Amino acid sequence: MTVAAVTAAQAGLLSCEACQMLSRPAGKGEPAYCRRCGEKLEFRHHGSIQKTWALVIAAAICYFPANLLPVLNTTTLGTSEADTILQGVAFLYVSGSWPLALVVLIASVMIPVGKLVVLVYLLVTVQRGSVTSNRERTRLYRLVEIIGRWSMLDVFVVTFTVAMVQLQPLMSVSPGAGVLFFAAVVVLTMLAAEVFDPRLIWDSAYPHQDRHG
Amino acid sequence: MADETGLDNLPEATVVRKKRLRFSVIWIIPILAAAVAIGIAIQRARSEGPVITIEFKSASGIEAGKTFIKYKDVRIGLVSAVELSEDYSKVLVKAKIAKHSAGLMVEDAKFWVVEPRISLSGVSGLSTLLSGNYIGFQAGKSAEDQRNFRGLDDPPTIKDQPGRRFVLKARELGSLGTGDPVYYRGLQVGQVAAAILVADGKSIEITLFVDAPYDKFVTAETRFWNASGIDVTVGADGVNVRTESFASLLAGGIAFDAPDFLATSAPAAENSHFPLYRNRSIAMKQPDPIERRFVLHFNESVRGLSIGAPVTLYGLRVGEVTQVWLHFDAAAKVFRPRVLITFFPDLLIARMTARQQVDNAKSLQALDAAGRLRLLRQSVEERGLRAQLKTGSFLTGELYVAFEYIPNAPKAKIDWSQDPLELPVVPGGFANIEAKLSSILTKVDNMPLNAIGVEVKDALATLNQTLKDADTLVNRIDAKLVPEGTRTLEDLRKAIGSADRVLTNTDSTLFGKDSPAPQDLRDTLQEVTRAARSVRVLVDYLERHPEMLIRGKAEEKR
Repeated sequence: MTVAAVTAAQAGLLSCEACQMLSRPAGKGEPAYCRRCGEKLEFRHHGSIQKTWALVIAAAICYFPANLLPVLNTTTLGTSEADTILQGVAFLYVSGSWPLALVVLIASVMIPVGKLVVLVYLLVTVQRGSVTSNRERTRLYRLVEIIGRWSMLDVFVVTFTVAMVQLQPLMSVSPGAGVLFFAAVVVLTMLAAEVFDPRLIWDSAYPHQDRHG
Repeated sequence: MADETGLDNLPEATVVRKKRLRFSVIWIIPILAAAVAIGIAIQRARSEGPVITIEFKSASGIEAGKTFIKYKDVRIGLVSAVELSEDYSKVLVKAKIAKHSAGLMVEDAKFWVVEPRISLSGVSGLSTLLSGNYIGFQAGKSAEDQRNFRGLDDPPTIKDQPGRRFVLKARELGSLGTGDPVYYRGLQVGQVAAAILVADGKSIEITLFVDAPYDKFVTAETRFWNASGIDVTVGADGVNVRTESFASLLAGGIAFDAPDFLATSAPAAENSHFPLYRNRSIAMKQPDPIERRFVLHFNESVRGLSIGAPVTLYGLRVGEVTQVWLHFDAAAKVFRPRVLITFFPDLLIARMTARQQVDNAKSLQALDAAGRLRLLRQSVEERGLRAQLKTGSFLTGELYVAFEYIPNAPKAKIDWSQDPLELPVVPGGFANIEAKLSSILTKVDNMPLNAIGVEVKDALATLNQTLKDADTLVNRIDAKLVPEGTRTLEDLRKAIGSADRVLTNTDSTLFGKDSPAPQDLRDTLQEVTRAARSVRVLVDYLERHPEMLIRGKAEEKR
């Protein structure tokens, strides 16, 4: 579906990302701010694709230790046990509470992966100048943005557990290195989604455009 | 914006878009992340030790990812997988060993499952009740690396601690078992490490481990005995009850000690072989290196004479009975009990004082076989050394062999060339009493009782006459002497009456009312009283005026 409309950038105008007000650009090379709300104005985010790539790659790297290293060290009566996220999922599933296992699996394993995959897909399509299914891609982007914050659930659970379950010497829980990487994955993907400029998705539809601010 | 100059028609300067080559700073983030992740991976890989496989009969309590391998209570590995062997007969436990402990995985390292064990001799592995079973480990001495091991069924009783092993040979194991305690004077000093049947199946070899400070008490002379249960011996020595400890009463064990009569010698070498005796008394009286055997032919019942019964000299133990059986004397065509005794010279020496021991041991050792024989011959022929059976306990009827010097013993005919030598015997114990009793009875039998009876009767008649005479005599005395006596008493009474009168007269003469003596006496006494008063006055005055003695009585002042 093609929408025959002129983008702000095409018209040589800057649109505010916060209040959507259109302004004319000031002198070249000078940073511009929205007159109404004070938001920084750019035609497109500066180095958006590059930055997004960097963050996505960093998140992808962190994803491996996040899943391979234990997130929780449980010491029960002298026996110490270190569990990774997947082990926790397996334990929940084996012990019969499969809905919980599903929640953890989706929230902690699938969503980070999904976010990374979506971001990579958006980046690749934008760089290749794809013009199809722009609307779907925008929708995907919105999903990533919304979902991002919920992935921190795991980190919160671990923090709470560690703080509360300190029944020395009967039982004690300490965080593993995995949780650090997991938090890094979540934060990095959130930042990547933030840095990515969704307006780039539509730029390809109007090829002869100067989209550099 | 049209201009006359046509400036509008000037070409626009070409803008060459500089391709951005400069990388954004943000790339530091993925590089950092990669560096950290790679760093962790490298660290993991470096700390990764070898994976070993241990073969167990069963995987009781072993869980992958949960069961640790512990050495000196330090975790050196973690079980990563528990599988069945290809023929399903064994359990293969795969374990990841920590890098720092990889050097421990050598050929003779030992693995076993530690689980709570409760036995009569103790409780072990209680910590596993809470923490779950773990795999115990014992380091080996070999330098050969090994990755496949066979797990032990039972924990090795001998931890790697200083001490020494000794091997005992026994006919049967009894109630002993691996892990049973080894006692020295009632103190637990070691453990039974293993008990195996010797290849020929005729005896048991028990390996025991004696812990370090105590292993030096095991010398070449040490005797080991089975301390299981109670050792009750009923012998000629009486009833003897012994037990090492309450635990050994229930669970059994092995005890050792060296006999007191032997000089202490150097500690025995590792893996020395020792016999295992049935009980303490047997162990402690087992033949010494020096022993002499003698044969005794008795002429009486040897019922109650058991093997091991003591042989005494002057009541002190010097040997024991080794064999008792019947011997057919072909020449005399009679059966006689034949008793083989063993004599331990060491025991004899042990009875002496320390100084004597040294001297005598020397002199005895200096004697050769012929010399010893001569000494013995001398004792037997000149001093009358004889053996006899004696009753040790009337309760049990146990007999023992006693040697004594009987100076007037009948001469004995002895073949001095025999081996073992036969020593002369004299009837003893019950036999002796019996002989004496019968000789007494014979004598009683031979007494002329009838003649004695007649004589006694005569004697009684004579006695009767004598008594009658005595009676007559007494009567005579009565008739003649008694009136005489009465008269004498009358006279005596008269004499006393006269004396009484005389005394009364004397009294009245001296102290009577009209007698002059009392009057004079009274006057005299009054005089004396007056004189005494004057003296008292004088003395009083003198006390107050002592100067009067020099100056005279002072004039009274007015």
